[in-house]
Amino acid sequence: MGETSDLKKRDQAASSEQDAQKGKYMTFKSGNEFFGLEIQYVNEIIKFQSVTAIPETEDYIKGLINLRGKVIPVIDVRLRFKQPPLEYNDRTCIIVINVKSMIVGLIVEKIAEVVEIKDENILPPPTFGRADKVQNKYVYGIGKVGDTVKLLLDPDKLLNDEDLSVVESAADMMIDED
Amino acid sequence: MAEEFSTDGMLDIYLFENEQLLEQLQERVLEQKDADCFDEDSINEIFRTMHTIKGSSGIMMFDNITAVSHKLEDVFYYLRESHPDNVPHLQLVEHVLEVEDFISGEMDKIRNGEPVDGDASSIVADLDKFLNQIKSGGQKAGEEAPPENIHEEPKQFYIAPVATSDSRFYKIYITFYPETEMANVHAYKVVYALKEIAEDLLYSPEDIIADENSADTIIKEGFRILLQAQCTEEQIREIIGVGYDIKAVDVYECKAEEFLQGFDFGDQDEVKIDLNSSVEEIENKAEAAEGKEAEPAKPKITPGDFVIKSKEPGKAKTLAKDKKTDKASYISVNVKKMDQLMELIGELVISESVVLQSPDLNVPGLSLDNFHKAAAQLSKVSTDLQDVIMSMRMVPLTNTFQKMNRIVFDVSRKLGKDIEFVMVGEHTEVDKNIIEHISDPLMHIVRNSVDHGIESKEERLESGKPEKGKVTLSAKTEAGKVWISVEDDGKGLDREKILAKARRQGLLDDNKPDSAYSDREVYQFITLPGFSTNEQVTEYSGRGVGMDVVIQNIQAIGGTLEIESTAGLGSTMSLKIPLTLAIIDGIVMETGNSSFVMETGVIKEFIRVREEMMIHEPNGDEYIMIRGEAYPVLRLGKWYGLEEYEESVEKGIMLIIEVEDKKVCLLVDKLIGEREIVVKPIPPYIGKVKGLSGCTQLGDGSIALILDATGLVE
Repeated sequence: MGETSDLKKRDQAASSEQDAQKGKYMTFKSGNEFFGLEIQYVNEIIKFQSVTAIPETEDYIKGLINLRGKVIPVIDVRLRFKQPPLEYNDRTCIIVINVKSMIVGLIVEKIAEVVEIKDENILPPPTFGRADKVQNKYVYGIGKVGDTVKLLLDPDKLLNDEDLSVVESAADMMIDED
Repeated sequence: MAEEFSTDGMLDIYLFENEQLLEQLQERVLEQKDADCFDEDSINEIFRTMHTIKGSSGIMMFDNITAVSHKLEDVFYYLRESHPDNVPHLQLVEHVLEVEDFISGEMDKIRNGEPVDGDASSIVADLDKFLNQIKSGGQKAGEEAPPENIHEEPKQFYIAPVATSDSRFYKIYITFYPETEMANVHAYKVVYALKEIAEDLLYSPEDIIADENSADTIIKEGFRILLQAQCTEEQIREIIGVGYDIKAVDVYECKAEEFLQGFDFGDQDEVKIDLNSSVEEIENKAEAAEGKEAEPAKPKITPGDFVIKSKEPGKAKTLAKDKKTDKASYISVNVKKMDQLMELIGELVISESVVLQSPDLNVPGLSLDNFHKAAAQLSKVSTDLQDVIMSMRMVPLTNTFQKMNRIVFDVSRKLGKDIEFVMVGEHTEVDKNIIEHISDPLMHIVRNSVDHGIESKEERLESGKPEKGKVTLSAKTEAGKVWISVEDDGKGLDREKILAKARRQGLLDDNKPDSAYSDREVYQFITLPGFSTNEQVTEYSGRGVGMDVVIQNIQAIGGTLEIESTAGLGSTMSLKIPLTLAIIDGIVMETGNSSFVMETGVIKEFIRVREEMMIHEPNGDEYIMIRGEAYPVLRLGKWYGLEEYEESVEKGIMLIIEVEDKKVCLLVDKLIGEREIVVKPIPPYIGKVKGLSGCTQLGDGSIALILDATGLVE
């Protein structure tokens, strides 16, 4: 009995936590733009650490890092956005995100801040015009914060977009085999 | 007294015990499947097994399992009592296996928390039919079938006088069958059932849940209950539910004063439901009651066989004994906890190397004698710890092999082939994780052997072989690997057919004649997707999916498959599988800025070479002559397109790697040393990279990639 009530409490705690997180976005800078990630996906932010490269993978998959004994893959967001690579420095951070219980690190140039963006301030991305097509795939909305805009990212698409399909199906196969 | 009747722990025990019982049952049945009939021992054992399963399922209220096991028990009761000699043995075997399958299926449902809703009626009906069939075919037509052993109507009946007051007082005396296991739980079940109607309830022995010894007391002295309730004796009897476990129930009605006196059972108003004692005994007792002979306070009302009957020798009995010692020496542990422990020990090994190789120790002039002593001690303990956890995870292959036995039986029956199945070395122990992975591939291989390895009876006779085919499943450990092979004496693989098909599918080099392919290479073709030389698709094989899946599964755990075959004489498929997946001995090396690990076992030697030993082909392939032998050279840095790796073969070091007789020289920059490596999977997000089997954490916290020798050689 004790266990179920504990579970319930935890559920409630989780949902209230989710409420508190709603509308909050972790923003970071990549190139000239600021991007936003819904904060519920973000596990933690760590300093850049050395990455073990994995051969024969997409160039934006930088390799593996050791996160307190857990081996997680990291991807370079700049490369993912087809932006020219930038030398890593002491401002470079890794945002560890958890998408559908897949833990992946995102290497970003610079962490900005956590901002609150109300739903009414989020516009759908322009469907045509000059907007860079490549970026549009991961950007599901444009959030207005004061005078600035943040491009809101869909982390699922960021990790698993079409051009990842090969990798993904390979991963699926591996899971199937298990 | 335990107020809550929690079934969780009991459910686990129920599943665990029944699973084992079913495994033993299957083993025994399959052992004797080729005999003309079951021997006495087996009949007894199957009977007892069913009895036990029925009993425990009854407690857990899985009615369908109870019903099925009860029916099968009936069948074997008849076999045991009447010894009919014209039982269709194979049919019987199939019935037993069918029941076993059904119960296993239901138990799976229980395990997964699904409702236990399997429909037992068709199996019960089948068994009924079967029982009738053997009964009617019985040699003595006049003889009555023995009484059904369980749900028998009471032979004597007592109709209670109508009560004047609402509340009535009863003394109840329950006798259990002496072989009933966990009689205290059975007793508690009764108490639990009576609670629903009871206004007041007392029982003796009192501490039936916590005290395990009470089971013996209950068996020896019976179980006594004082009940105050508004119901008739009929209702009580209904609630207590005389059955498989309860031998007799005595219900005495008494007055309130007597009730208050406690456990002093008198002889008045005796109602006895006696199931197994003969009519004479019951009559005797009735006479005794008439003669107003007071029965002793501790009634010896049980029929003769109850008191003196010595324990029969037999498997079930020894089993019961074993179980008692089990309590002291075994505990079952959640596999998750074991995995966690395994992981922690892995972390410990890593932390240990972090400490022992700490750069802080490299200060010159530091006296480290004591440190090194302590470090050696620590290493020893952690190695021992690893060995222990490994041995805890080791499970014999027996169950897996039994499953194969079953498959051979099923498939050969369906295909009308007569096959002898031999198991060798089934006690070989393998890591539990690995067992899970090899079960399916092995099943495929065994099926293949039976289906298209072994020929039909006619073909066998024609080619001068014994009519009965033979499939041998064997296991052994050698050099840190487990070898599991499936050998059949069938027709073997048809080299020509495979080659023809391979050529049709464009798998062969057009310029190469057939004869240029070694048998080994040819046989490897059957492991490619969509490759089946069996023209006829049967229920079991021939679709060409299968061998490729087998290969994939085996490779996933770092194993390999070897195929040997002689046309006309049979073929052997051997799986070579690592004993364990989690911790391996490996050589750490560096190339460019990356660290790699290679399993120690596949490295034949390290060698420094000179430039003039190299042979360069115009197309870029390189070979090296070492002691008169040419090995292909693989530059790890170039292979993976790394940066800043050593170009010169003289500065780097060569590793000669041998996998399945294929040798390759691997050029790396430098060696770091031998380490115990905790294997971690590469995150699925990355996908599969050729030549890598996992990754690991090194002493300095950095990550090294584990090279998969098999992948490199290919």
